Amino acid sequence: MPDRPDPVDLLRSMLLIRKFEEALAFQPDRGFQLLSSGEEAVAVGVCAALDDRDQLLSSGRSIGPALARGIEPHLVMAELLGKISGPNRGKGGRGHLASPDDGFFGAHAVVGGNLSIAAGVSLAAQLEGRGAVVACIFGDGACGAGALHETLNIAALWKLPLIFVCDNNGFSISTPVARGVAAERLSDLAIPFGIPRRTVDGMDVFAVYEAAREFADVARRGDGPGFLECRSERFASHSTSTRETRSNEELAAARERCPILHLGARLEADGTLDAAGRSALEKDVEELVSRAIRFSGEAPRPSPDDALSDVV
Amino acid sequence: MSSRRLFFNEAIARALAEEMEREDKLVVLGQDVGAYGGAYKEFAGLYERFGAQRVRDTPVAEAATIGIALGAAAAGLRTLVSITYMDFLILGLEPLVNYAAKARYKTGGAVRVPAVVKTTAGAKGQGVAHAQCIESWLMGVPGLKVVAPSNPADAYGLLKTSLREEGPVVFVDHKRLFSTAGEVPETNEVSMPLGKAAIVRPGTDVTLAAHSYAVRIAVEAAERLEPAGVSCEVIDLRTLAPLDVESIGESVARTRALVTLEEGQPACGVGSEVAFRVRERLDVGIRVARVAARPAPVSSNAVLEAEVLPDAARVVETTLTLLEGR
Amino acid sequence: MIFTLVVPGPIEDVEEIRVLEWHGEPGRRFAPGDVVVELETHKAIVEIRAAQAGILRRILHPEGSWQRLGEPLAILSDAESEPLPATPELGGKEWAVEFQIT
Repeated sequence: MPDRPDPVDLLRSMLLIRKFEEALAFQPDRGFQLLSSGEEAVAVGVCAALDDRDQLLSSGRSIGPALARGIEPHLVMAELLGKISGPNRGKGGRGHLASPDDGFFGAHAVVGGNLSIAAGVSLAAQLEGRGAVVACIFGDGACGAGALHETLNIAALWKLPLIFVCDNNGFSISTPVARGVAAERLSDLAIPFGIPRRTVDGMDVFAVYEAAREFADVARRGDGPGFLECRSERFASHSTSTRETRSNEELAAARERCPILHLGARLEADGTLDAAGRSALEKDVEELVSRAIRFSGEAPRPSPDDALSDVV
Repeated sequence: MSSRRLFFNEAIARALAEEMEREDKLVVLGQDVGAYGGAYKEFAGLYERFGAQRVRDTPVAEAATIGIALGAAAAGLRTLVSITYMDFLILGLEPLVNYAAKARYKTGGAVRVPAVVKTTAGAKGQGVAHAQCIESWLMGVPGLKVVAPSNPADAYGLLKTSLREEGPVVFVDHKRLFSTAGEVPETNEVSMPLGKAAIVRPGTDVTLAAHSYAVRIAVEAAERLEPAGVSCEVIDLRTLAPLDVESIGESVARTRALVTLEEGQPACGVGSEVAFRVRERLDVGIRVARVAARPAPVSSNAVLEAEVLPDAARVVETTLTLLEGR
Repeated sequence: MIFTLVVPGPIEDVEEIRVLEWHGEPGRRFAPGDVVVELETHKAIVEIRAAQAGILRRILHPEGSWQRLGEPLAILSDAESEPLPATPELGGKEWAVEFQIT
């Protein structure tokens, strides 16, 4: 792993998530989806701190994490659209997308449900002794769940190589975090367990990367877990079929903090990526997305018989 | 085949020791499983032999403990997680039912969870939340296997098989079984498949189907019914999911009468599932009755506990009523 | 007089025990309070102590063997020379013991 990731790669990765989701939204048979738009920097920053040995787990908001981890976009799209060419033969969908061979151990669409599973994956990694770490992205809603507190406790006791990544987008569907969790700063929940913690701007991909990298280094050394709270914004409602509860003004303010906008402007300003470079990047990403749409459009749906396969 | 007499808990410890010896990736987790050796000494000797890395005491956190065991199994280990009382398994049903049971399916085969959740059911004076037999809840979860042995040889054989399965297995033992003894084969081979019931007492007039500790009650009832001229065939279900409907059906096809017996609740119980599946299978008329706990919690009060739990007398009475006017 | 040492009880939950260790060979004279034999249940050791004097004459169940509660484990007598009954299981009155579960 390079000491510092190439900022253009990070921008590309975030752009891919954004454009992928825009294209997905246009698919008439896209079904029920939870989008990562606005929260790209969390997944991309965390994944920049992971290497091939590592595993990532996510909540049901899995599209950003799966793409950031490097699963081929056309395979992700096929899975989301219920095609057998997806990594899970269309059975998992967004809520349960998994591709352990790509370092994405999987999504688990039960709030807080991925935490203890991730701790188990990190226990396996610890016993294997190859220095692998596990990152688990969960929402602010999970911070009220017993699963988090039980898992923090065991992870601390056993010094598990596990990074707790709280993607705090401010809402559990309609409930603002201030009414869902008593702690003012969610990373403070790690304090009683003696777990090192950071709260960072989840719209700044480098801030996320640097904190995640620090915790990954600690975990790799055998010094146990870390808790990283990333304060982010979701640009749409909870899901594609959930009512928006915020005003237009609130949404506009959230979009002002767009991680792609900010990194793009910075790279342009410091001369890393000029207008021509940027448009080439966008074109690359659009081609990937077009291919994903084409591939998944042509891919077959499962046969009804598949409903009864891989059960036991 | 030579055999050795062991207590039920010793049969469990022996099966685990042999499997841990054979498979380096097998890890045991749970409350008091380490130096203490388990609430019923069913893990005795493992900590001393395999060490703290592989025999891990856990905090009182059933939900996370089960999730960790299942996640670790999904990621390449094999795990056995001990939940002291089955009542507390309820705390960990989320990872078990929503994650492990569905992992293979929902990932299209990319993830398997080779884990055993071992837990102890049954009433023995400890009250309403330390007494329940809720194995029937789990029988309807696609992707879960449920095993409930009644004797040391089966505990040994079925646990060894369960520890080599590719998917999650719930292994249910019973508080009143640990002190029972029986012959256990000396072989280290795995030869007891899941999904096979056993006829523990042949008979011709009625089939008594039971599992776990209730098998002993069924045998006692059969012994009491013999002088009354009723010949009972006692079937030990051994595995509840998958259920060996073929063997039970074959027995009931001969006896034309079925009494199911369980310590859990009658509604949506093991017995109702057994009876329905047998009826679906057979095209002959059969008589069916069930004996289960009475529909009430099981108190720690001995008088109340005894009233709620099924016993041989109720099995005898139910059987005689069923066979009346034969 | 001839006596029979039986597995004492009741012991909660226990139907059957395994003989762990005899404290003495046939011919040994036990005084009240002496440990005669240790038995194993599924989770405890039961230490059997003499509650009366007696000479161990015959061990019916060696170490590692199993016996049910209330069933005979050994034959004892007051005097060394007393003849043993032909079927030792039926011999004599129950020898008085105390037991402690640890």
